[in-house]
Amino acid sequence: MESLLEVREVSKRYGNHLAVDRLSFAVPRGSVFGLLGPNGAGKSTTIRIIMRIISADAGAVHLDGAPVDDDRRRLIGYLPEERGLYRKMKVLEHLVYLGTIRGLAPGLARQAASDWLERLDLGEWATHKVEDLSKGMQQKVQLIGTILHRPQLLILDEPFSGLDPINARQLKDLLMAMAKEEGVTIVLSTHVLPQVDELCTHICLINRARAILAGPLGEIRAQYGGNVWRVNVEVGADTLAELPGVTSVRPLRDDLLVELDDAHQPRDLLRELVATGGVESFTRFEPDLENIFIRAVEEDRAHAV
Amino acid sequence: MLSRLFAVIRREYLERVRTKAFWISTLLVPVFMGGMMVIPAWLAARGGGEFKIAVLDETGRFFDPMAAQVSESLAQDGATLEVNLVRVDPGPDPQATREQVKEDVQAQTYDGLLIIPSTLPAAGQPEYIAPNVAAFRLLSVLEKSVNSVIIADRLTSAGLDPSQVGKLTRRVDLKTFKLGAKGEETRDQGQSFILSYFFVLIIYMTVLMYGMYVMRGVLEEKSSHIVEVIIATVRPFELMLGKILGIGAVGLTQMVLWAALGLALSTPAILTAIGLSGMQLPQIPVTLLVFFVIYFVLGYLLFGTLYAGVGAAFDTEQDAQNFQSVITVFLIIPLVLIMQVVNQPDGTVAVVLSLIPFFTPILMFLRMTLTQVPFVQLAASVVLMVATILGMAWVVGKVYRVGILAHGAKPKLKDLARWVREA
Repeated sequence: MESLLEVREVSKRYGNHLAVDRLSFAVPRGSVFGLLGPNGAGKSTTIRIIMRIISADAGAVHLDGAPVDDDRRRLIGYLPEERGLYRKMKVLEHLVYLGTIRGLAPGLARQAASDWLERLDLGEWATHKVEDLSKGMQQKVQLIGTILHRPQLLILDEPFSGLDPINARQLKDLLMAMAKEEGVTIVLSTHVLPQVDELCTHICLINRARAILAGPLGEIRAQYGGNVWRVNVEVGADTLAELPGVTSVRPLRDDLLVELDDAHQPRDLLRELVATGGVESFTRFEPDLENIFIRAVEEDRAHAV
Repeated sequence: MLSRLFAVIRREYLERVRTKAFWISTLLVPVFMGGMMVIPAWLAARGGGEFKIAVLDETGRFFDPMAAQVSESLAQDGATLEVNLVRVDPGPDPQATREQVKEDVQAQTYDGLLIIPSTLPAAGQPEYIAPNVAAFRLLSVLEKSVNSVIIADRLTSAGLDPSQVGKLTRRVDLKTFKLGAKGEETRDQGQSFILSYFFVLIIYMTVLMYGMYVMRGVLEEKSSHIVEVIIATVRPFELMLGKILGIGAVGLTQMVLWAALGLALSTPAILTAIGLSGMQLPQIPVTLLVFFVIYFVLGYLLFGTLYAGVGAAFDTEQDAQNFQSVITVFLIIPLVLIMQVVNQPDGTVAVVLSLIPFFTPILMFLRMTLTQVPFVQLAASVVLMVATILGMAWVVGKVYRVGILAHGAKPKLKDLARWVREA
C-alpha cells in the first residue's frame, strides 16, 4: 500500500532525555494507524514533530511524498492531547475561525460548521458561548474543528481520553465512517489499547523512544498468535508441558496458552487432552493488542538487558 | 501567511470590540474625565442663593463699612449670590443677645450669625455660626469683607491711608507666555501643564491597560489549551503578532471614539447646555496629536510585546505577578520623573531620559508639550523605539514559542534565558 505519511529516522532530545530515538514508520493511505505505547514513550512528541509544533533534531517527515511545511500541514486535521477552546467565543464563530486559519473561505467554513453541528446534535448551540456547553459537547466542538476543512489525514492524540462511554462510542463510529466512506487516513495515538483494538488496521508500537513493532495488525496478530491454542482443561500446566509437540505453556487469565511446534496439529493436542480429562474450551489464540503490547514490551526489555 | 495573520487579528479585534466592557469603558471614561473638569467649574458657578446674615457687631464700628464692602465684592463678582446683612444690637448683655440670635438662626430667621467681638481690631477673631458652613462662596465674601474692614481700621489707627496702602501693596501676577516655533507668543495660564499631564496620563493608562489585555489573552490561550490547536496551523510568531496588532487596533478604535465624543461634548451648544458657555478650551496643535498617536502605538507595541512574553512564560496571572510588575515599573518610572522634566524640559537629564525607549512615550511627549523639542531628538526617539521593539519581538518570540507549550513549574529567569538560546 502507498504511504500517505512517512516518518523517517526522527530524533528529539530534551536535555539528557532522549524523547524520540531514530523513529521511522509509514502510514498507508486509507489506514487507521495506531501509534501505541506506554505513557512517556514519545508518542505526543512524535506527533508534535509531525505537526511542526516542535522541531526534530534529526530526521524528516513526508506527507504525500513531500516534506511537511506550513502549507502542507494544513491538510492535516490535528486534535492535540491538550485541547481546548476559547471559552468566550460563540460556538459557530469559533468553528468558522478554526476553518479560516486552515484556509477555508469564511462562507464555506460557516456552512460546513453548521452542517456538522446539526449532524452531532449541537445545532441549537451554534450561537451560545463555548463556556455554556457541557464538557462532552465541547469535545464534540473540538472534533468538528479538527475535521471541518475535510482533511485527508487526521491525527488524533489520545482522542478518547475524558470521553464517557457513549461519546467514545459515537466518536469511534464517526471515525470508522470517515475511514470507510471517505477514505480518510487516521492516525490515533493512545495508551488505552482495548479502545482502538477494533479500529486499527495498522499499528506502530513505541517503547522508550523507539519503534519496537510495526505493520498491519492482521499480520502482527498472526505472528504473535502462531500455533498457539487457548485451552481450559482439568489438568495442570505441568502435565500439559509433558504432552508431545508442546513447546511452551503460559497462563492467560483463567485459561492456558499452549504453543505447539510446527510438526503437530491442534487435533493431536485435543486428542491428548480429551484422553487426560475434561475439556471446558479449546480455541485458536487471537492475541488482542494488549497481549501483543505486553509481550513486545517484555521482549524489548529482555533485549535491552 | 498574511491571510492567517489577518484571521488572527480579526478575531482578537472583533472578540473585544463586541464586548459590553469595551463600550462601557469607551462611554464612561470621557464622561468621567469631562466630569472631573466640568463639575468643579459648574459648582463654582452655581454657588449662589440668597442669604440673610445677622451681624452682631460688638464694636459698633464695623457694620457699615463691612456692608459696603460686601455689596462691592458681590457687584464685582456679577452675582448669583445675594447677601443681606442685618445689624443686631448687642444690648447690655452681648452674651444673652448672642444666645438669642443663635436661636433665631436655629429657627431659620437668619441663615447665619457673624460676631465681631469687642476686642477687635487689637485681638480676637470674628466668628461665624451657621447650620451650613460649607457655602464656600458666601464664606469667602464674608471673610474678605471682614478682613479688609479690620485691616483698614488698623491702618487708619496707625496713621496710614488705607486706599494708599491698598494701591502700594497691590499684588503683581506673573504673566506667562508660551513661545511657539514661529516666535509667536501664546498667553498661558497653566493650561499647558494640565493638558500635558492629561495626555501623559492617557498614554500611561492605555499602554498599561492594553498591554495587560495582551498578557491575559496569551494566558487564556495557554490555560484553556486552545493554543496547541492554533499553532498547528498558525506560526507562534504570527499568533503573537496577530494578538498584539488586533488588541492595539482595539486601543486605537477606543481613542478615536474618545476623541469623537470629546469633540461632540465640547461644541458650544453642549457647553451652553451644561452652563459653561464661556469656558476656554485649550487649543491642541496637530503635531502634538500626531505624536500622541505615534507614541501610544510605539509604547503599546513595546510593552504589549513584553507582556505577551510574560503571558506565555507562566500558567496563571498569580505566577506572572513578579515579572509583570517589573515591566509595569518601567512604565511608572517616567511618571515619577515628570517633575524633573517639567522643571528643565531642555536639560541634559530630561533629554537623555526621554530618549530611553521605555520612557520615551511619556517623557518625550511631555517635553513636546512644554518646549520645542528638536526634530533630531524626535526622530532619534522613534528610531530607538522601533529598534527596541524589533529586538524585543525577536527575544520574546522565542520565549513565546517555548512558553506557550510549557506547563507546570514556574519558570525562573534562567529558564527563560535557556528558552531564548534553544528556541
